[in-house]
Amino acid sequence: MMVNIDVNGKEYKKDIEPRMLLVSFLRDELNLTGTHIGCDTSNCGACTVLMDGKSIKSCTVLAVQANNHKITTIESDDPKLDVIKQAYVDENGLQCGFCTPGMIMQTFYILENNENADEEYIKKNLRGNLCRCTGYKSILDSIKKAEEKMKGEISVSK
Amino acid sequence: MDYRNRYVNGKGRYIDDIVFDNMLYMSVYRSQYGRAKISNVTGGLNANDFNAYYKSSSGEMASLGAKDNKNVYLEHVFATDYVNYQGQPIAAVFGKTRYESEDLLNEVKVDYTPLKAISSIDEALNGEPVHTGTENNILASHELGKDFNENDIDYDIALEDEFFNERIVPNPMETRGCIAYYKDNMLYFYVSTQSVQSVKTGLIESLKLKGDSVVVIQADTGGAFGVKGSFYPEYVMAAYASMKYKKPVKWIETRTEHLMAAYPGRGAKAKIKIYAKNNGKITGVKGEVYVDAGAYDAGTGSFASRFIAFQLTGPYNIENAYVKAISLVTNKAPMGPYRGAGRPEAAFFMERMIDLLADKLKMDIADVRLINASEKPFKSPLGLEIKEATRPFLENALKEVNYREVSKKEKAGIAFFVLIPASRPGESARVIINHGKIKVYLGGNVHGQGHEIFVKNILENELKIRRDFITLENGDTTMIEKGVGSWGSRSAIAGGSALLYVAREIKNEVIKKYGEYSPEKLLSGNFDKYKFIEIDYSVNSINFNMITSSMDKNGEITVDKWYSYYDLGNVLSEMNVRAQIIGGAIEGIGQVFSESLRYSEGQLMTQSIADAGILPANHIPEYHIKWIENPSEAPNGAKGLGEAPTIGTPVALVRSIELNTAIRIRKTPIEFNNSILLE
Repeated sequence: MMVNIDVNGKEYKKDIEPRMLLVSFLRDELNLTGTHIGCDTSNCGACTVLMDGKSIKSCTVLAVQANNHKITTIESDDPKLDVIKQAYVDENGLQCGFCTPGMIMQTFYILENNENADEEYIKKNLRGNLCRCTGYKSILDSIKKAEEKMKGEISVSK
Repeated sequence: MDYRNRYVNGKGRYIDDIVFDNMLYMSVYRSQYGRAKISNVTGGLNANDFNAYYKSSSGEMASLGAKDNKNVYLEHVFATDYVNYQGQPIAAVFGKTRYESEDLLNEVKVDYTPLKAISSIDEALNGEPVHTGTENNILASHELGKDFNENDIDYDIALEDEFFNERIVPNPMETRGCIAYYKDNMLYFYVSTQSVQSVKTGLIESLKLKGDSVVVIQADTGGAFGVKGSFYPEYVMAAYASMKYKKPVKWIETRTEHLMAAYPGRGAKAKIKIYAKNNGKITGVKGEVYVDAGAYDAGTGSFASRFIAFQLTGPYNIENAYVKAISLVTNKAPMGPYRGAGRPEAAFFMERMIDLLADKLKMDIADVRLINASEKPFKSPLGLEIKEATRPFLENALKEVNYREVSKKEKAGIAFFVLIPASRPGESARVIINHGKIKVYLGGNVHGQGHEIFVKNILENELKIRRDFITLENGDTTMIEKGVGSWGSRSAIAGGSALLYVAREIKNEVIKKYGEYSPEKLLSGNFDKYKFIEIDYSVNSINFNMITSSMDKNGEITVDKWYSYYDLGNVLSEMNVRAQIIGGAIEGIGQVFSESLRYSEGQLMTQSIADAGILPANHIPEYHIKWIENPSEAPNGAKGLGEAPTIGTPVALVRSIELNTAIRIRKTPIEFNNSILLE
């Protein structure tokens, strides 16, 4: 069936099987391979993307459910996402990199929805994203650094 | 570009990101039973088409000196006659898309006659043999040390206990996967791995190919923790299918398959008896160590029990020791290494006995450790060589973490242990300088430890060149003639030493050519140097952890503070060190609270990665990381690190927890039913 999905500001019209998962649509149809598949059971969060600004796990959403919606992935050139990415590099918030796109998209969601996300709030909202390498501390440091930078930039622009 | 810049932008090239034209997707039909006789297999590619054994002949245990076992225990690529674990491959199907290949699984038909499955070490000891033609389920059995009569040794108190570490499958965030591409009589094999060389060896042996017709290339590897150091039947299937169908064949494991069929580690049990004087001095140790080797001798199972037994006495100088090491066949996936691979089990068994002794003698846990530590280098009766006095190290460690004060106020557990890295037989490095760019290849392949950082540090120090000119390339058997792998806390020691050697050789070449060295002269020329550094000794290190935890009124435990005092030899990168420590610590915490694979009557009860107990972000203790740098005898003076936190964390944490609960802990993950209160 035909779908019309906006991914990172660009519209894609495609004829797809109704059973196709959103993550397959992104990876196989659009070749946006930054979104990863880690578990198939919506536990690990490696496939996290935003749908209309809300974080979802694209391995348990059908592509047809994204019809006429806006999807944001790690490949987006949103400047706020760049701030988060740089914070992950600066704080060494990644090792093997496989969970990283999902972590960054979830970070984006957390910081977009709470300007004053404290450590407890961040940890709670990261529960759906698993990382096997870092022990999460450097990820937490990356998120805090991104938060500070975003606040700094907002107060400068004001 | 720095690997981290690629990864944060979604530009990693993991195995599933690589696509070739006309590629087939492989799905594997797996046994639904833990043990069954099978007949009339139809559909897909199966043993009727390709009947062969595969061997996992290299890998971590091989670099520690393990040898292969008898043919009767080898696994077929596709099962014939019998299946012996849930998830064992029986057939493979191939579709133009992943969805199509999964649909094709429905076309495979197998007649099963279920048999009683052996699900545990105890069942293996007492039950009927898993394999026809064998008398029992003993895959390997060894005796270490010298047996002694307890009447002949000096002791006041004898204590006996039993321990168990449940199986854990490594669960890297990226599952296993490969692409086999056979063209022009060459097999190009792309894979997520810790060792392209061990994959190449496995393919050559299983498919009887010529060495120069196989090229193995590593994709970006999304974590491994031991599970991607082994060789697997799925690799052989994909390669065989690519040769048969003349098309590239991709296999990407699902998480469910990972839980069933990737090789898990731990799964070890021990009965330990210690004899001690009333002052806490241990005079004798007797023990039996069992591992759950799984259904076939494919991974590390046959050697693992011996490796645990060999290091059982750790940093303690104990006069008499005798340990039986037994690997048992069960109806589960073959055993493989999981970060630590025998080291955490050995430390858990011994340190639990030391804590028990302290409690019985009403001594402080640190004092019992001090009296058993050594004033001089020694060789244990089990064969473990300790090249330094361990007591001064422990005294310093206790001071550095302020143990005496902390333990008065908090529930503090400690761990004192040896890390035996798999430094043998050495490792290779190659550096190519061309057009002002420096490409580095290591024989052991990076899988998330950030080797690029220490590689840049070494070359920046030695050659005074800018970091952004340097890249660490993924493993490629055409670029490295001889290589081992990245496991067993060996990369800094073996890979780092090889790279240092090559860097110095290149520097000498520049001097020979130009009369003096400068980075400009280096970068203006073309250089290509390769070296395999042989290391025929073990670079053991002594390490210490302390952990505190607390319990709320609902009985929920929080890990509060995590302390280390490690001897890392010469440190190549502080950033790598911190990352390895904190990442390893949470895996140790996970082992204690939740991580496990649970079976009942041959059926895997663990159904998802969450069910397997991987901890989320809410378990972050306060880290107090300290280390010292006593250079090792390796060319670059490095010692092991990666596995140290997985050894020390469970030991120190379970002690801290039992101080909260007053219930003695004998098992990971912890369970409080059927436990006894501490006296």
